[in-house]
Amino acid sequence: MTLLVLPLAVVWLGAALLALLDGRRRFVGWAAVAVLGANVAGLAALGARVTEDGRQELVTGNWPRGVGITLAADELGIIFAVLSSAVLLVALLYEVLAGVRSRTFPSLVLFMAAGLTGLFLTGDLFNFFVFFELSMIPAYVLSVYGDQARRKIGAAFIFAVVNLLGSFIFLISVAGTYHVTGTLEMRDAAERLADAEPASVMLIAVGVFVAFGVKLGLFPFHFWLPPIYVGATPAVAAILSGALANIGAYGLLRFGAALLPAELELGARALVVIGSVSILYGAMQALSRRDVREVLAYSSIGQAGYILVALAVGGRVGFFAAVVYAVVNSANKALLFLTAGLRGWLVGAAFVVGAFSVAGVPPSAGFFGKVAIFQAGVAEESIALLVLLFVGGALSFVYMFQIYQHAFWRPEASAGGREPSPAVLRGLTLGLAGVVVAFGIWPEPLLALSGGAADLLAGDAGESAP
Amino acid sequence: MRTILTETVARLLVAPAFAVAAAILVKGYADVGDGFAAGVVAGLGVLLLFAAFGARATHRVLPVRRAFAVAVSGLLVALVVGFAPLLAGDPPFTHRPPPEEQVVKLGTLELISAVAFDVGVFALVLGVVVGSLDYAARVRKGDW
Repeated sequence: MTLLVLPLAVVWLGAALLALLDGRRRFVGWAAVAVLGANVAGLAALGARVTEDGRQELVTGNWPRGVGITLAADELGIIFAVLSSAVLLVALLYEVLAGVRSRTFPSLVLFMAAGLTGLFLTGDLFNFFVFFELSMIPAYVLSVYGDQARRKIGAAFIFAVVNLLGSFIFLISVAGTYHVTGTLEMRDAAERLADAEPASVMLIAVGVFVAFGVKLGLFPFHFWLPPIYVGATPAVAAILSGALANIGAYGLLRFGAALLPAELELGARALVVIGSVSILYGAMQALSRRDVREVLAYSSIGQAGYILVALAVGGRVGFFAAVVYAVVNSANKALLFLTAGLRGWLVGAAFVVGAFSVAGVPPSAGFFGKVAIFQAGVAEESIALLVLLFVGGALSFVYMFQIYQHAFWRPEASAGGREPSPAVLRGLTLGLAGVVVAFGIWPEPLLALSGGAADLLAGDAGESAP
Repeated sequence: MRTILTETVARLLVAPAFAVAAAILVKGYADVGDGFAAGVVAGLGVLLLFAAFGARATHRVLPVRRAFAVAVSGLLVALVVGFAPLLAGDPPFTHRPPPEEQVVKLGTLELISAVAFDVGVFALVLGVVVGSLDYAARVRKGDW
């Protein structure tokens, strides 16, 4: 029971304490790394407990269930919690090694970690919204982090306004759920939504989809994304695309598959269309860009499309693909954005691992993401979908290697007179690349945990189906 | 806009605003109210001062520069009170003394650990409101 709360308590208290100190001092940065490390370790221990004993649940204040706020850890939540905190840890480590440039940076990262940890481990709809905001507010501040903050304000303003609108729509959906079901507890709400009036539930479902679509950067809601990712420093871009965007994937899975399975099925065709447009739009835009970060930003839009398509296919195989793909994509993006800011020996090697992984070439982790997606396509028995997945994969292969060649193979790019980056930073990204390869060679833990999450979601969907 | 009217009204209303905030804070357990609402009401009191007398005068009478520290300390108090029951093996936000046990009373105020949590939330909200007001005032004046 303590294990369920401890990761959240540690990182939240740490964030508040470090907010009082100047983050530019080295020991503050390292203290933040230690706190976040403890958070990741605690979550990993919790993950081990969840895989052994199943879902862990706790109601705050010893109140009866339904009165107190529920905290709960299951396979789906814990996999995203560990992933997001680990990405934050790597990005924080990167920035501490490179030299923190603002007094608030370490504490903001910890606040975001507290928000994300809480969000993935809550079993309560309103608490989900609270932690959602707790992780978004640091993101708004971090989006102007670094040099030339004034230039970034335009993009950051759009980012904040669009995402606040998304949050507002989400809040309306939460209120709607409460209105329809009379509960904020996710499991009870899931049960009662199945019997509620379909028109109101559909409205809630659309609100939830828009809110998380904005977060994930899906096609019609993507326009805030490229300027933010391009303007952000490497660490912040890694944080936004590798950790924060997980809210979107997790939210779609948790709300779509577990809470609103009937509506997910009803809207499946529309979701496939939106996902496909996202894949093609992201790939086409990425293909036409020459700046590494721009390519990665548009690639994120395309990759979000795969997650949506897998979700729409549904069933165990679809949810499994969505989870695996979301995890792999988040690791890829963290690796690539961190590497994109570096120069020097072995940086190209780390980048090419990320590029392999995006394109789905073995032995990188991305291979299993692509395999899972294709399995979902086969399960759907749709040739059009398989062709789309193949074309999307081929395009990602082309744009990743085009940009790899452009950034690392041209003589003027490599001998541009720029100093090589510090060896520790290159070592860190190389280590991260090692992790991506390791998950490609030994994917069992990832696949087992994702399989557990998919069983959970498919079970929920099966129960509430008529 | 500084006129004799606004200044007089502000002077008359500031103390009652704080008194109402304190009442909301302590009444929360038997009646409607809590630390959040109390913080907002107290913050509105400070807003009156800013609006009627300007940033400089407000800085002279209140430690506005400490707003950030007040907010963070409030957050720390709230978090420590919230998560402390973990040490005793209870779920977070379990209050002491537990339900149906004898509580020390000060008038209508019941001294339970949840009061400390709400005091923390009060300080957090007040600190954030005052800090934001001060920031907005500085941006407009440009001379601070």
